[in-house]
Amino acid sequence: MEFTEPVVLVLTSLADGPKHGYALAKDIESFAGAKLGPGTLYGALSRLEERGWIEALPAEDRRRPYRITASGAESLTRHLETAQRVASTGLSRLELRPMP
Amino acid sequence: MTSRTGAPLRALGPAGPGSAGPGSEGQRPPWPVVLLALYPSAWRARYGEELEWLVSDLQEGGRAPLPMAFDLFFGAVSAWITTGRGALMSERSKDALISVLWSWVAFAAIGAWFGHDLGIYPTAISAQQIAILHPAVPDAYNVLMAAGSFGVLATAVAALAFAFDEIRYAIKTGRRRLFVLMAVPVVVAAAWLGGIQLLPANPTGGALGLAVGWLLLGVAGIAASTQAVVTVIRTAEFEPRTWRIGGIAAAAVTAAMVVSTVATIVWGVVERINQSHTGDASGWLIVVAVMAVTSVRAVIALLRVSSRFAPGAADRSPAST
Repeated sequence: MEFTEPVVLVLTSLADGPKHGYALAKDIESFAGAKLGPGTLYGALSRLEERGWIEALPAEDRRRPYRITASGAESLTRHLETAQRVASTGLSRLELRPMP
Repeated sequence: MTSRTGAPLRALGPAGPGSAGPGSEGQRPPWPVVLLALYPSAWRARYGEELEWLVSDLQEGGRAPLPMAFDLFFGAVSAWITTGRGALMSERSKDALISVLWSWVAFAAIGAWFGHDLGIYPTAISAQQIAILHPAVPDAYNVLMAAGSFGVLATAVAALAFAFDEIRYAIKTGRRRLFVLMAVPVVVAAAWLGGIQLLPANPTGGALGLAVGWLLLGVAGIAASTQAVVTVIRTAEFEPRTWRIGGIAAAAVTAAMVVSTVATIVWGVVERINQSHTGDASGWLIVVAVMAVTSVRAVIALLRVSSRFAPGAADRSPAST
């Protein structure tokens, strides 16, 4: 599954506990500054649920929370580790780059 | 309550400023909600209400409706594209498999009862007479047995494939509950068959009541076992190859059900028109009715998703995206 930005943001948001749609949108806005639209958010949720990386919990007050599954957490960990290596490499190379 | 990863189920976050919900108590849903009509119906059935709540909450929280409308529009386009190769179709395939499974279990249960003793042949002598007079009767019996065996074999092959994937998934994810669920059919069958050995061969009086109770317990056990298998199918992830096997097995089982139903009808009708038979036809009618209903249900389930089981379509099952 492709790690699009919304997918990563949703998984990251769910990493610390289950959330429903609105809580996800607010959380993502707070830690990433990204305002995910409702269509984008639910597009990511449906793909993640399809892949089995998140699962729906029983609806509460007609809002359905989602939580990350073990395989979702594992995949997110792998992706973030790779992203971290890329970021570290890029930043260190930028520091070594001679200034024009 | 804890999450799967063991973390406590934390606060789910704000319920949303529009917690009264869309369209409640005189509130009108925000206008971008009309764009939900652009989504595929299956997608809407699964996520529509949640999305409507989210749009309502976001608007109450100050989000401008126009950008949301654009986002919903592009979300609908994306949903149409992904529905053709994604979750919703896979869910339909899964539902179809489960529907065939339930139908097959009910069919097999009534078939076993029928095969064991339903008085189609009241006595061995009359059975021989009927077989001499009407060759179609033993032929129908043979067809019934062959089709039933074929269905059982297809089920066994699919069960092995699914069990193999399920075990791998349970080990990988640490979901021990799946092992318990898998053990349910085995334990129930062993307990029930073990218990029946203790019952008298021709129960009378109190023993008859016990036998009937045990029979009903068996029916409950079959239902519990099937539900356990269904839960496993819904929970675990399976390889595309396994879905293909499941689809082929479902088609094979359904064909076996249809053939068996026709054979049972032929068998019963031919036997009933024989003058030597004076038995009650109600048992046969019940059996045929259950067989027909379960067969039709399985056929409908398969027809609805027939394209989903085709090679390639199975590759679009949840495990492969």
